Amino acid sequence: MKDSGKIKWIDLIRRDTEFSFSLLGILVLAVAIGFVRNPFHLDILIMILLWGMLASSWNIAGGYAGMFSLGHGAFIGIGAYMSSMLFIHFKLSPWLGMIIGAVAAGIVATLLGYICGRLKGHYFALATIAFVELANISGVQLKELTRGSEGLTIPFRPGWANFMFQDKITYAYIGLAFMAGIYFLSLIVERSKLGYYLVALREDEDAAKSLGVDTSRIKMVAIGISGFFAAIGGTFYAQYILFIEPDTVLSFAFSVQVALVTIIGGMGTALGPIVGSFLLTPLSMLLRAYLGGGLSGLHIVIYGMLLIIVVLFLPEGIVNTMKAHLKKDITGKEIG
Amino acid sequence: MVVQLIVSGLLLGGVYALISIGLTLIFGVLDVVNFAHGEFLMLGMYVAFWLFSLFHLDPYLSLLIVGPLLFLVGLFVGRTVIRPTIGATSAVQIFATVGVSLIMMNGALVLWKADFRSVPTSYGSGTIALGPIYIGYPQLMSFLGAILFSAMLFPFLKYTYLGKAIRATAQERRAAMLMGIDIQRVYVFTFGIGIGLVGIASALLAPIYSIFPSVGSQFVLVAYVAVVLGGLGSVPGAILGSLIIGITETFSGFFISPGWRQAIYYAVFILVLIFRPQGLFAQK
Repeated sequence: MKDSGKIKWIDLIRRDTEFSFSLLGILVLAVAIGFVRNPFHLDILIMILLWGMLASSWNIAGGYAGMFSLGHGAFIGIGAYMSSMLFIHFKLSPWLGMIIGAVAAGIVATLLGYICGRLKGHYFALATIAFVELANISGVQLKELTRGSEGLTIPFRPGWANFMFQDKITYAYIGLAFMAGIYFLSLIVERSKLGYYLVALREDEDAAKSLGVDTSRIKMVAIGISGFFAAIGGTFYAQYILFIEPDTVLSFAFSVQVALVTIIGGMGTALGPIVGSFLLTPLSMLLRAYLGGGLSGLHIVIYGMLLIIVVLFLPEGIVNTMKAHLKKDITGKEIG
Repeated sequence: MVVQLIVSGLLLGGVYALISIGLTLIFGVLDVVNFAHGEFLMLGMYVAFWLFSLFHLDPYLSLLIVGPLLFLVGLFVGRTVIRPTIGATSAVQIFATVGVSLIMMNGALVLWKADFRSVPTSYGSGTIALGPIYIGYPQLMSFLGAILFSAMLFPFLKYTYLGKAIRATAQERRAAMLMGIDIQRVYVFTFGIGIGLVGIASALLAPIYSIFPSVGSQFVLVAYVAVVLGGLGSVPGAILGSLIIGITETFSGFFISPGWRQAIYYAVFILVLIFRPQGLFAQK
């Protein structure tokens, strides 16, 4: 086993059923998008893809490494604000701004991992809350750059160079490409040495350390990757909604929602966050559309109930519970 | 001026102390950080508001209703949501209370809308002059209330059977169980007591602050800072931590700028978590 750490693409597609089914699933989605004509349905689909990518990026730190961040809004906000501010103040293409924002968020996240990596469970979660609140205060106070609580409106100048489009369908395809990118990255991470280190770290940090896993470095890598992709999701959000404010993208509430989509779907699997988004995003959008503004907040009440039910009765999340059932059904008893 | 700032800071810290004590008590015994703590505060403030606007009940009287009522709510949530998570992974514990928080905050938004409400008492903006120093009357009352109720907590924990059982469970839950303490009941009761204390705090705060569905989150973030500063699980530490945060807040609000003053204690919070996660005053 000379090259156990390396992955051959062709092997993945040929032998790995999860990989090949995923490829098929993405293709089916791509074809399906072409048939959606109703703009509201397309809007729902784009939001599903957006929350899918945000939750998938949270999953890399929260799910695989067990770093329960309640502050991912900070990274999403860095991405959203960086690309938008560079576009507004310097006319820089949001594509470039996205990369810059993602690198910046990746560096900030790595630093956070360095500073707070030693903290476990509750303490790490508390530290990330303080972190997103700091980011929120900065967003509100640095008015010259961010316009503070007023929010930042991104001027609509459609075109590929500006990452803005008249038709929603282009957003849907870009969203699908981004989500698929993070999804396949998660699958690859799962199958790589890093993935095994991460699981070892999550299951028992001391044991992993004693077997020679450099846990503090692995944590920094995990949250760095996680922050990088969360920021890309942030830019996508800004380019689609064309309005950002500290109380959405830089907020604790937003951070909690990213985490809960993953928890309900299933942490530590590539599919979990996406299943979570496919379940929760349409639910919230349909509720909001049919009940109107009069009952705003109702969808979050339902999120909260689902969260408690999942956490108490299916603590592994929906995807992991289904996987365990599937394994049982085929062989009659549990394997692996 | 400095004396005025210290006095205002201490009064503010007293308010934070009442919220922090419940939080730290729950953590010390159940080993669970209650991420819904602020929402219980919000609920209590709404109860005080409705008692005032429907029955003209003064908040300082209605705390005798709000406190026990929140105690019962705490027992209910403790029994249904919190107890099953004891000993579970931290993901389960964190997100169970996060779920409670989401339900309460947004439930309040659905029921009572995002409007700011207030309890317009006659003494709401009254001040007492002590020489050159001005003290807000409701601030003084909440500070005295905080002292009174935390002073009542110590003999309760020290001398009553339930108090002893709570301390025993906090120290070593397995040994407590072997000594015949029904620790499952202790968990639920401790959660109820912690929430009851928040209920009292909410009635004391109702004359001072506006009431809206997310009012709790601001206070509870301060309480986290205070509790970590004093060492998670330590009641005297939480009181001391709250007073420190209160003084820090008035000073940084005066010398830096009100907009950034919260940034200061979040930064302090992260620094304490990193360098002294056991708290500033821990002996170990």
